[in-house]
Amino acid sequence: MSFQQVYKVARREYIARVRNKAFIIMTIMVPAFMGIYIAVLPLLFEGAGKEELKISILDGETGLGGSLAERLESVSSPRLEVAENLIVTDLTDEARQPFNARVLQEQLDGYIVLAPDPEILATARFYARESNPNLIRRLELAVHTTLLTEILDGSGVDVDRVKKVQRSDVEIVTVSSEGEEEGGFEVAFFSTIALTMLLYMAVLINGQGMAMAIVEEKSSRLIEVILGAVTAAEFMAGKILGVLGSGLTQLGIWIGGALIMVLFALPAMAMGTAETGFDLSSFLSFNLLFYFAIFFALGYLLYSTLFAIVAATCTSTEELSQSLFPAMLPIIIALFASMFAAISPSALATRVLSLIPLFTPLVMLARVNVLMPPLWEIWLGIILLALGSLGAAWLAAKVFRFALLMQGKRPSFKDIARMIRAA
Amino acid sequence: MSNTASLICHQLVKVFDTTRAVDSLDLSVPQGKIFGLLGPNGSGKTTTIRVALGIYLPDGGSVQLLGSSDPLAVRHRVGYLPEERGLYAKMKVQEQLAFLASIRGLSSHESNKRAAQWLERLELAERAKALTRDLSKGMQQKIQFASAVIHDPELVVLDEPFTGLDPINTRLLKELILEQSRKGTSIVLSTHRMEQVEAMCESICLISDGKPVLSGRLAEIKAGYGKNTVTLEYGGEPGALDGIPGVLDVRDSGREARLQLEKGSDSQQVLKALVDRVEVRSFRLEEPHIEEIYVEKVGAAKAARQQMGSQQGLQAQEASQ
Repeated sequence: MSFQQVYKVARREYIARVRNKAFIIMTIMVPAFMGIYIAVLPLLFEGAGKEELKISILDGETGLGGSLAERLESVSSPRLEVAENLIVTDLTDEARQPFNARVLQEQLDGYIVLAPDPEILATARFYARESNPNLIRRLELAVHTTLLTEILDGSGVDVDRVKKVQRSDVEIVTVSSEGEEEGGFEVAFFSTIALTMLLYMAVLINGQGMAMAIVEEKSSRLIEVILGAVTAAEFMAGKILGVLGSGLTQLGIWIGGALIMVLFALPAMAMGTAETGFDLSSFLSFNLLFYFAIFFALGYLLYSTLFAIVAATCTSTEELSQSLFPAMLPIIIALFASMFAAISPSALATRVLSLIPLFTPLVMLARVNVLMPPLWEIWLGIILLALGSLGAAWLAAKVFRFALLMQGKRPSFKDIARMIRAA
Repeated sequence: MSNTASLICHQLVKVFDTTRAVDSLDLSVPQGKIFGLLGPNGSGKTTTIRVALGIYLPDGGSVQLLGSSDPLAVRHRVGYLPEERGLYAKMKVQEQLAFLASIRGLSSHESNKRAAQWLERLELAERAKALTRDLSKGMQQKIQFASAVIHDPELVVLDEPFTGLDPINTRLLKELILEQSRKGTSIVLSTHRMEQVEAMCESICLISDGKPVLSGRLAEIKAGYGKNTVTLEYGGEPGALDGIPGVLDVRDSGREARLQLEKGSDSQQVLKALVDRVEVRSFRLEEPHIEEIYVEKVGAAKAARQQMGSQQGLQAQEASQ
């Protein structure tokens, strides 16, 4: 294999890709989507409902409606306005119909029904068009406080201290070999999804683009001219490296853009993220970028080699889109596995999955992001992944030479097995 | 003139599934000459070329390309214009040419220089920055021919180079090929268009069903047939040329006819017979056209195969009874 030839093929491929409109659009769109994702997702999780809600209380003769109303009115985010506090005797479905109607007509955003309970004084139900985790948490707090105040009344217990206890959070600090880090599951989970999605898309889009290019060259018979000058292995290596180069260029632009953001726009952003408890720096640690680049490069090498094998056996782009799915399946599974890894980063299943080359890029990246695994495990994964890529390349070189020139009909698995033995 | 051959195929075999696309083929392409690889569609010309250039591995026999038994080792000294053309549609014309030159071993500086020179020659210089897909088919074909010879190869293989070209571009391409030949480049011209072979090729190999049917120097082949063909201009009734003694075959075009004489028959006797039947305006005794030899040879080979086929059919029938 002549590296000069590989370089020439790679260079042409690189220039063709970087000049392509799709590349330019992707380079701009992905960070835009990431930005939206980072900005919107925490809000979704926290609940980005209405700022002001109008609520009624239907007190089923518990006598706690007034006290609950008071607590609800003191909630600030979202602001709650208690429209009325009605004492009712009938809590059946029919009796509540008029209230449902008002909710549907948006005169009310919802209503709370308090039903008497012999042990805890009252149980509460919230009827509404929509709710979100944040609102539910506020309502629960208000109901609990109301009930506790009533129960503890006259017992000598300081109710204010009980309220403070109720509002206190358990702060999560993640301990890893890197040290301690504020924030727990939420931050790690969302940043992992964002990172693995980015890697997943980068690998898929670049790999598919390359597979498409191979099929086009094959169906335009250009391949014959090229193979008259370079060997199949050189052609394939050049193709893959050219697309890899364009992918890394894209990544470089994104990282560069992110660094500029950190330097110039972080002060402004810090104000925005402080409220949601979302820490942008978790996206931008040097360590993470380093591993991201490694896993992108190796993951891309492995998958695009697989895609290249599939592409070499296809005769048209229609055929390719059907045949590519089996080769894409592992990375789709890996995406789900990486979410599992984000939840249980040190489970045995996660550790095993992260060492299987087809899953390593996404799953190991998730582990690195959530809970830094021992260094030897990361590098074992990287080495296995590199070996896997080499194995795939070896296979591809054998299949390529013959499959690329087969026109009209597709080679069967038997044919492919023969190619592997023959070359 | 040298006697060494640019390309030698010895007992070459290439099998696809059960078909023997190339079957015990021997051929030798003399250095610095134009060599015609002839045969009907599907006779194995393209497969032969692909095996000879190392794109396919042979299933039997051997190839000596420019003195090397490994075609891939000398591939930068060979130019190839495949039958089915393809270029990168979205690449600029000059970049494309330069790229195709560079993968054939030229430096990037030299590639660029030669690409520009060739565009000048092909009168496409003002389209250098155009996208290839915006060029007409004829222009693309010229670009592709240029890409096959841009690195000054010692041997150029042209697979059906005139397909789809109008008369003006055909003439231009012919001139370009002859110019390469004058520079001493060996040329393999694969085609089924006989008038070009007749005009350009020094020697030929005619194949049918992957087997060589006829090969050698064109002049010798024709001389071997002798002056056994008459070109006749005449006036007379249709059918007036039928049944003349000593005439094997008649191809009557109405005003002109080609008569193939039987071996050993006397052309003067034929002329006498003709004068009796029609008004003879001109009578020329000639060597056969290569097309006539081609039709005769391929026809004979086909007939032999059909006979074999029917024998096999009979055997099959017998077996089934």
